[in-house]
Amino acid sequence: MSRDGWRKKASEDDGWGGRGGYMAAKISKLEEQFQKDAPREKQKDGTSSYIFSGVAIYVNGYTDPSADELRRLMMLHGGQFHLYYTRSKTTHIIATNLPNRKIQELKGEKVVRPEWITDSIKAGHQLSYVQYQLYTKQKGLNFTSVCARGKQDPSSSHEPSKPSLNHPDIISEEDAERPRVNGIHDGDDDDYDNACALLPRGSQDTLLTNGYVHPVNGALKPQDSFAELQLHVVDTGSHQSHLPQTESRDREESSCSSAGSKANSHQRSLISTDLHPKPTSKPGTSAAPQKGNLHDQTRVRLNGSYHMTPNSSTLADSSNQPGRSGQGAEAGIISEFFSHSRLHHISTWRNEFSEYVNGLQSRSRAAGGAVFSGKEKLKKLKANCSSGVLSLWFMFVRQSCILHVDMDCFFVSVGIRHRPDLKGKPVAVTSNRGPGRVAQRPGANPQLEFQYYQRKQNQYRKDGDLEMTPSPQCDEVPSNGVDLDLAALSMAEIASCSYEARQTGVRNGMFFGRAKQLCPDLQSVPYDFQAYKEVALSMYETLASYTHNIEALSCDEALVDATKLLVELGVTPDDLARAIREDIKEKTGCSASVGMGSNILLARMATRKAKPNGQYFLRSEEVDDFIRDQPVSSLPGVGRSMSSKLTSLGVSTCGDLQQLSISRLQREFGPRTGQTLFRFCRGLDDRPVRSEKERKSVSAEMNYNIRFTQVEEAESFLTNLSMEVQKRMEGAGLRGRRITLKVMMRKPGAPVEPAKYGGHGICDNFARSVLLAQPTDSGQLIAAEAIKLFYAMKLDVKDMRGVGLQVQQLEGSYADPSGQGPSRGRSIKDLLLAKQPAHSPRKDPLAQDGLTGPSSSRAFSSNQERVTPPSSPPSTSSDPMPGTSKGGLHHPHTPNHVRTYLNVSIEVPSPSQVDQSVLEALPVDIRKQVEQSWRHREEQPSTSSHLSTPPRTSSSPPPGPSLGTLVLQLPDQPGQPCTTGIILELPDFSQVDPEVFAALPRELQEELCSAYRNKGNAQAHAQAQGSAVEQKNPFSQLKQPAVGKLKRRYKKRNASPAKKGPSPLKKLFPGNSPAKSSPSKTLPLPLKQPGLKTENVRCPSSPSTDVPETLSKLNPRPVPTLAGAYEFSDIRTLLREWVTTISEPMEEDILQVVKYCTELVEDKDLEKLYLVIKYMKRLMQQSSESVWSMAFDFVLDNVQVVVQQTYGSTLKIT
Amino acid sequence: MRLWLAYPVKCGFTELNGCCIYFGYFSMAALTRQDLNFGQVAADILCEFLEVAIHLILYVREIYPSGIFQKRKKYNVPVQMSCHPELNQYIQDTLHCVKPLIEKNEAEKVVVVIMDKEHHPVERFVFEISQPPLLSISSETLLSHVEQLLRAMILKISVCDAVLDNNPSGCTFTVLVHTREAATRNMEKVQVIKDFPWIVADEQEVHMEEAKLIPLKTMTSDILKMQLYVEERTQKT
Repeated sequence: MSRDGWRKKASEDDGWGGRGGYMAAKISKLEEQFQKDAPREKQKDGTSSYIFSGVAIYVNGYTDPSADELRRLMMLHGGQFHLYYTRSKTTHIIATNLPNRKIQELKGEKVVRPEWITDSIKAGHQLSYVQYQLYTKQKGLNFTSVCARGKQDPSSSHEPSKPSLNHPDIISEEDAERPRVNGIHDGDDDDYDNACALLPRGSQDTLLTNGYVHPVNGALKPQDSFAELQLHVVDTGSHQSHLPQTESRDREESSCSSAGSKANSHQRSLISTDLHPKPTSKPGTSAAPQKGNLHDQTRVRLNGSYHMTPNSSTLADSSNQPGRSGQGAEAGIISEFFSHSRLHHISTWRNEFSEYVNGLQSRSRAAGGAVFSGKEKLKKLKANCSSGVLSLWFMFVRQSCILHVDMDCFFVSVGIRHRPDLKGKPVAVTSNRGPGRVAQRPGANPQLEFQYYQRKQNQYRKDGDLEMTPSPQCDEVPSNGVDLDLAALSMAEIASCSYEARQTGVRNGMFFGRAKQLCPDLQSVPYDFQAYKEVALSMYETLASYTHNIEALSCDEALVDATKLLVELGVTPDDLARAIREDIKEKTGCSASVGMGSNILLARMATRKAKPNGQYFLRSEEVDDFIRDQPVSSLPGVGRSMSSKLTSLGVSTCGDLQQLSISRLQREFGPRTGQTLFRFCRGLDDRPVRSEKERKSVSAEMNYNIRFTQVEEAESFLTNLSMEVQKRMEGAGLRGRRITLKVMMRKPGAPVEPAKYGGHGICDNFARSVLLAQPTDSGQLIAAEAIKLFYAMKLDVKDMRGVGLQVQQLEGSYADPSGQGPSRGRSIKDLLLAKQPAHSPRKDPLAQDGLTGPSSSRAFSSNQERVTPPSSPPSTSSDPMPGTSKGGLHHPHTPNHVRTYLNVSIEVPSPSQVDQSVLEALPVDIRKQVEQSWRHREEQPSTSSHLSTPPRTSSSPPPGPSLGTLVLQLPDQPGQPCTTGIILELPDFSQVDPEVFAALPRELQEELCSAYRNKGNAQAHAQAQGSAVEQKNPFSQLKQPAVGKLKRRYKKRNASPAKKGPSPLKKLFPGNSPAKSSPSKTLPLPLKQPGLKTENVRCPSSPSTDVPETLSKLNPRPVPTLAGAYEFSDIRTLLREWVTTISEPMEEDILQVVKYCTELVEDKDLEKLYLVIKYMKRLMQQSSESVWSMAFDFVLDNVQVVVQQTYGSTLKIT
Repeated sequence: MRLWLAYPVKCGFTELNGCCIYFGYFSMAALTRQDLNFGQVAADILCEFLEVAIHLILYVREIYPSGIFQKRKKYNVPVQMSCHPELNQYIQDTLHCVKPLIEKNEAEKVVVVIMDKEHHPVERFVFEISQPPLLSISSETLLSHVEQLLRAMILKISVCDAVLDNNPSGCTFTVLVHTREAATRNMEKVQVIKDFPWIVADEQEVHMEEAKLIPLKTMTSDILKMQLYVEERTQKT
């Protein structure tokens, strides 16, 4: 909540808005001051003149002489010195080095080198500035004169007089000089010596005097290099050698260049500064985005504190060859990256605390009820005081109450909890330990970064999530940069600052240096991650001592659903909050604020009001008034962009927002967001407090230091990343089905090496995903898929800058797949409940022989899937129900059911013998009984064969799904010798037919082998064999499923026409044409073959009911056939035969037709259905027998019902 | 069934309602399309076809004056195409948004709804898209086979007025997409990207009383399985 707050504020009082008023006043005041000082200065220094009268200069960036000196000179010689640039008044801009953007901004202005002033003074009159122009306008700004080099001794051959020097010349010139460059530290070359000698001073200067924002400019300035820094780079050999981007020749130099600590630090600054001008010489690259990237890296993505983390800096420092590739590919780097990244660290806390809460809950459940010490205490307390008033509360209020507990400036209060001296003082948590200035590390060119950042800000700010999101601090830096003190300010960001500090305008996320300016007393406190964790944990412990209905929001923030608690205790929310706060204060030494409301939204809003160190209960009757005045930005989900959009709609408070209709909101913001806004601005919020937020994805991403040269590197990197993902998924106990590969590619045209060392630079993002048939958490599998995706994307590995892997569509890896469906989307309670059935078998005395709950139940479920029963079901089957799916089988079996049905003993064939579809067709209760009895059976010394399934699925997931589906799609074959009957029961060696095993598809064999291996004992051996046998049957059937099915039907049907005499169809379809079966129409089969009847009816339906929902594409859906006929012409013939040869249709046959039609509907072949119906209509209504008409009506009615169910409308039969 | 509001887009002569989505209850086993290009090919083909079909439906059902239509040749048969730029743009935008859904097999039906003046649907041309039993592109010939099937469908559309009652005057049309559940989230994204809002359809726009279903054509090819049927209100006027 608070994050919205500070972000908003920070952006609003960034000083830009006030420029019109405040700045104008300041400028005029400065001018006055200047005028006042001038005479004094002149007095002091006798050499005054008026050569610069009418000239008003503005110094941009570092110059030599310094801005101060120039100011003095201008005072002395009658000129004006503007601290802020105004186009109308300032006549000349003095600069030695301008970033490209600045140059473009200042196009058309007189930008002059400082020598103009010094030389003019020397000459005693105002020289023409033309010679001293920093760049020539026509020439683009890219290749400025080299002359600058010589400026310190005018005798130098490179006099500043060649503004239009072209690039090649410069290069050659420099090449000629290169030998000298390498020997840079020789004292004999004046130019270079000079340059070098100045360097340290330069950086010191910047520290103390240089008014400009970026110290680097100061560091560079001694050479007076101009915008073209590449040239400059050559000048200053020692630095340039570190440049990651300079051509290969530069790299050679790196070996000979001195890499002292100083150079090292310079180098880092140079990387960033020097890069920016470079693009100017390389068309197609732009300077600004690079800076932005730097920001992106250090400020946004990593939320500010990252760039100070040890690993990043060591990485950057230790490996000075960013051009070298493959760093990212090193195996260890991923885990190292993640184990070092602080932000990663902090961000994982929420999960940890969620888990902590879960752990508490499950423990208490296990213990049969938790001991809530805090609650007890409160109870006692309440007992002590008279409860008359308190109970009043309950007379009136019976609504829910949510507490939002938020530590007050968590990082600060933890940081100072053992430092009472700092209490009440402005304190900021930051990685900077010094006085707010950095000496050793001249930062990058912040000006440019800021400019870019400003542009990017909007975009990025949205991303910020943690409290340490980057601030818009850059906004506050005056663009002209003469602000004296900014140069050397620490860029360490403030993660959190105390309320005292906030009063002075310091904000979270501000750069420490800047904050120090605002608040000179600001004390910095280092990060103390261990302490944060301790405190956070004790906070959660405290909360948990009251209730377990806690939702962890972050390390210092939690939601508590206190509804029940309050009712139970009979205290008011305020009492509870007070107790909690006292407890927290006592245990952690840090204060917490508590907001209370009837829902999460209100509670969080109340917290705002409660802060600091207070509590506020937003009563329902106050809600309306309260919320009306809240700024829209306080609503969750209203970020910068949305609030600006709202502002454009004239909305600034929730009250305004309430005026908008929901349709308007939905139109503006999209359906969902619109509705949410609509509700939120009325204080409505139905989000429950959830102990565990549904986890939607598990991912690992790395976009630091990714430089591949070869595809293999990328591959191995993906593999490693997959392993990281696997680790995380295992940690979370999840498996996922959708794997997404995200790749950041260098944007075409972007510099090959980004500004930030090892950073990703400007990138395009690509993502691809794949859906697996089965959830997995196997790193290998993920890697395989990721690599496939990677190849599918056809990317140039060299341009890869970041790789991320994400796994979505999660389900619990240990949850009972048959029992509870996917675990995603469940609250912790569900999870706990779900686990119970899994564990219940353990308690069952029958099932105690070492079978863990989950595995046994899983074995059960997988058995079910694999069953290909040879015999008909035990109980009479009802009409097949088209709607039922195999999923029905997997309906949750709560433990209750288990217990209930365990007692029921019915004669049930083994699961392997039961046809899946028949089972489905059974009434639900009967089905359950059957299943329960199976389960029961398995819980008994459950045949070891069943155990083999779980390892199999987990050990080699890929074949798993295909196996399952493969088996499923096989129709049953009652007539066939039943090999399957023994499958599951007899996982015996003797049963295994080696030939069959050999004949299995390779995957199956592999799968079996791996299951085999995994078990590694005799039992497992047997199991594997068992499953082999299990596979055997499907396989053998596989060869002729369709044929078998048809044959079966013919057989049956053929019997009947025989009685009626030769069917006309026989002539039409000689041989074994499917149409042969058509005579079946005439037969009341049920009577003759009762056993087959059910079979018969069920048969056609089974594929269509099973297939669509359970099988993947591997499993082509069988085409609907009518007695084996598929083609419409055949169907037609068949129908004609039927109608013309038979005088009275049998019900059985009519049903058959209905069935066929139903299948057609399910198969989404309405056209054929329509034709069939119309054809029948013609046939039957023409028929002389009215029975046929009735038959048709019957068929039609049934079909219409199905169509109605499926499509919501009925067929139009004309 | 969740219903979403429609976002009206003004068009030359009549108001076109924005495309609507609603979510079916299907939780079809999502199909794995390992090769994404494959899905794209199918989606390309399908969207191309849908564009032709929508134009043709508008012509055949006389939603717009026949003057704005031109005769073109597609799939080797004459078809009518609107030459009204805004209408064309609207159709294109619509299909642009549908395409990603089709690629991911998230669109279950694409429905061209013809509505009377009160915005009650009178006719629905439903393109029900499902996964073919076997997903594969084996050869060029298959694509030409697909073309034949599509041609058949186009021809069916062009004669569908024979089996349909006349529409009342002043009808408008809208396009609905029935997505599978999984597409919900992505739709938001699609909206952002295309700046072409998809809004959950109104009950009113979806519900049709006493609808009669007239199957027009079913096609099954290796890459595409689709059936077209028309749902027609019994009492059109």
